[in-house]
Amino acid sequence: MNELPLTRREFIRRSSGGGLGFLAFSGVAPSFLAKSALAQTPGPERDRTILVVIQLAGGNDGLNTVVPHTDDNYFNLRPKLAIRKGLLPINEDLGFNPACRKLHQLFNEGQLSIIQNVGYPNPNRSHFRSTEIWETASSSENVQREGWLGRYFDNACSGSPDEDADPTAVHLSDMIPQSYLSEKSHSLFGMKSSGRFDRGTDPADLAYEKLLQAEHIEGNASYLQHTMMNTLVTERRVEKIISRYKPMARYPGNKLAQSLRRVAALIHADMETRVYYVSQGGYDTHSGQLSRHTRLLAELSGAMQAFQQDLVAHKKDDQVMTMTFSEFGRRPSENGSAGTDHGTAAPLFVMGSKVNGGLMGSAPDLNIGENKDLKFSTDFRSVYSSVLDRWFDADSSSILGEKFDHLPFV
Amino acid sequence: MATPLPTPSSFSVKDAWKPLPKGAWNEVHAAHLLRRIGFAATPELVQSALQTNVETTISKAFRDAEPLVKSKALSEFAATANENYRAIYRDLKTQEEKRDRRNELRKEDNKLFREYGMSWFRHARKQRNSATEKLVLFLQDVFVVDRRTIQDTPSLFNMQQILREGLGMKYDDLCKWVSREPAMIRYLDLDKNTARKPNENFARELFELFTLGEGNYTETDIKEAARAFTGYRARNRYEFYFQRKLHDTDRKTVFNETGNWDGDDIIDITFRQPAAKTYLIKELFKFYLTEETVHREYVEELGNMWANHDFELSYLVNTFFGSQLFYHPAFQGNLVKSPVHFYLGLCQDLRLDVVPFESRLLRSMDVMGQSFYNPPNVQGWLYGEYWINSTTISARRQLVDYLFTALNEEKLNGNDQKSLKIARNEGRGDFLVTQDRLTQLTSLEPSEIATHLTKYLITAPSRPTYKPVLQNLLRSSDSLDNSIRYAIIALLQSPAYNLC
Repeated sequence: MNELPLTRREFIRRSSGGGLGFLAFSGVAPSFLAKSALAQTPGPERDRTILVVIQLAGGNDGLNTVVPHTDDNYFNLRPKLAIRKGLLPINEDLGFNPACRKLHQLFNEGQLSIIQNVGYPNPNRSHFRSTEIWETASSSENVQREGWLGRYFDNACSGSPDEDADPTAVHLSDMIPQSYLSEKSHSLFGMKSSGRFDRGTDPADLAYEKLLQAEHIEGNASYLQHTMMNTLVTERRVEKIISRYKPMARYPGNKLAQSLRRVAALIHADMETRVYYVSQGGYDTHSGQLSRHTRLLAELSGAMQAFQQDLVAHKKDDQVMTMTFSEFGRRPSENGSAGTDHGTAAPLFVMGSKVNGGLMGSAPDLNIGENKDLKFSTDFRSVYSSVLDRWFDADSSSILGEKFDHLPFV
Repeated sequence: MATPLPTPSSFSVKDAWKPLPKGAWNEVHAAHLLRRIGFAATPELVQSALQTNVETTISKAFRDAEPLVKSKALSEFAATANENYRAIYRDLKTQEEKRDRRNELRKEDNKLFREYGMSWFRHARKQRNSATEKLVLFLQDVFVVDRRTIQDTPSLFNMQQILREGLGMKYDDLCKWVSREPAMIRYLDLDKNTARKPNENFARELFELFTLGEGNYTETDIKEAARAFTGYRARNRYEFYFQRKLHDTDRKTVFNETGNWDGDDIIDITFRQPAAKTYLIKELFKFYLTEETVHREYVEELGNMWANHDFELSYLVNTFFGSQLFYHPAFQGNLVKSPVHFYLGLCQDLRLDVVPFESRLLRSMDVMGQSFYNPPNVQGWLYGEYWINSTTISARRQLVDYLFTALNEEKLNGNDQKSLKIARNEGRGDFLVTQDRLTQLTSLEPSEIATHLTKYLITAPSRPTYKPVLQNLLRSSDSLDNSIRYAIIALLQSPAYNLC
């Protein structure tokens, strides 16, 4: 791979002589989009492993997700918010929130592992900062820019994206998630969870396409032309894949489920993409938590199950691992407005046919007194190192900067 | 084919920095200067530039700049911030109380930071301030401090302010001022640098990123220099204070000069190193002219001239923008606009006010990859091709679409409605392109419209290939109104408009 040019500029310069950059120069045939879409056949490694990351943005209340119903402390800390009825058994002491019926099924089928009480030392309670810590896999004291997945891309792929290949990573959000930020440049692709995004036959778009096909001089003009055409090509290719996709499971209408439906479509189409990132917002439940949290968990649960069923039906499940994360859990003591404030550790889920299901790590100690926070027992970077080493066959210590113990979910 | 970069054999080093001859001052050169020194080459600016000469155009670009006013709210916050933060540790007992109070202050600071960002964009949008603020952006990419690390709006404001004032200084003096800025003192750990436990962070970046560049100093120079910068502290949060007790008073040897140096001495010694003549100039090239490496002889020649003028920044800037080399064809139309340039350029080209919605403007900058005051790391933004990927390209296209979509005022949230009202009371109201603006063009022939648009919106090298395509586009629809609109949107999203 190291024969590839090191910078995009060099890539373009070299491609002017060779056959690499099919779109780079003038004389592009009018039907370039149709042709190039056909030209993009799936890469040779069809059985590569894929990771899907689901962000639960806002800070998911772990204690009301996986409920410690035999612990009196739980009921004392949460006179209003404790969940007393309808819990779905995980073991003698723990039960799923009733809204997690579908996650519970996955758990019983051995396709879901629950990793308990995940966090990091010196927890930060700012949404922004704690999200950044999770996404960059840094310690609480060190500010880092590059994300843990971005560093994995740096490690695993040459720094110059082959512009004709599928994106390395896809995100269903308007901004590149910090997890993807890297030192070298990789081909990333962002899209929305619903709606067309190639804008189809809008006359302004057709005009744009016409201008793109004008002759551009070498250098940055040609580089821009190349990137823009490539973006258009990928947009249209993805649009086509998504609009023609026939899911083999029923996806609910909410944003998360629709995002996962799109991810399933791209996986089914054998895109070479290794990582997908989707996000579900709304977990910042400072007030009136019960009904909101129930809705969120039901959405999460339904979306994850539909996705997994779909992957199984399309025989893609062996390739895909799905994990959730949230920037922090919430305070064990409820607050005065029937909600909870920012806290620390919380459980996370890993789902997949190749996942060793079950309950992992140790439950949090709730004997902490009023308004105190949980002390984490599993470092989130242990989850990452397990994914990197065992799922991606990468070298986690060079990506995370140190060695973290593996967890047996993979 | 793009024009190759100049070399000493094709373009004499002696002539390179001579002023552009009077006879060579034309529309293409004027537009090149205006787009590089500021954000746009509007018909009015080009016309007035052509009525004078290159020197006057440059000095005018900086002459009329106004100061960026510190808002009343920010001044008030700054006046009490030190006491407010100290009171947390002094008066509050429990961890929870402390945390809550800290959060409160942080929230207030965040609000002030967003307002500061908005006011900076409005300020830089005004043509009279554009050149100055662009140069400030350049210096902010040299003396990097970021919001992520320094969560204190007054310090960030002051830091930017010293760079603005620095434009009238000698560069070595500016370095000395910067070493005294509380934001920098905290950002590069000068406040942890003591005689007993030196911290090299600042000394290293002083050499590597502010003055000399990598390879022009040794690790020993850094160690010794760090000792000279001991005792630099911030007092009362926003004042510089030299704490003598923490200063290392022993002899230090830096670049073979030995003495009982303090920080200012080190900066003086640094500016006697040959690399100090060329480092900033190379950065200036990257920011304003090209990402490719320009032949070192040009850089060295200007470096010598600059050193002979005591490292006066204004001398450097005037010589650079007025030189024959600056107008070399290889440098025309081949620089990728930064997101800030793209955004403010759109506002100026389309005669629009900066949108008054924080969520829209600041978020748009995030998505395009240049969050206000938040460069990725101590090296700053990399500029050039690094701005471009599929996500940022889509974001740029969406911004253009937004500027051509009618505002649905009823759908605005409470904050945005308030901001809109305030903006209108202050006489700002043209945030989006309305159809009646475009109809001014309908009296022209398609070929005239295409000439007009290519002349003022894109650079000379792209015009010949864009013009015929635009002309066809303008003829293709039955309604000229509509086709003008589509053609302009497409042009503003095209590769050519993303370059300057």
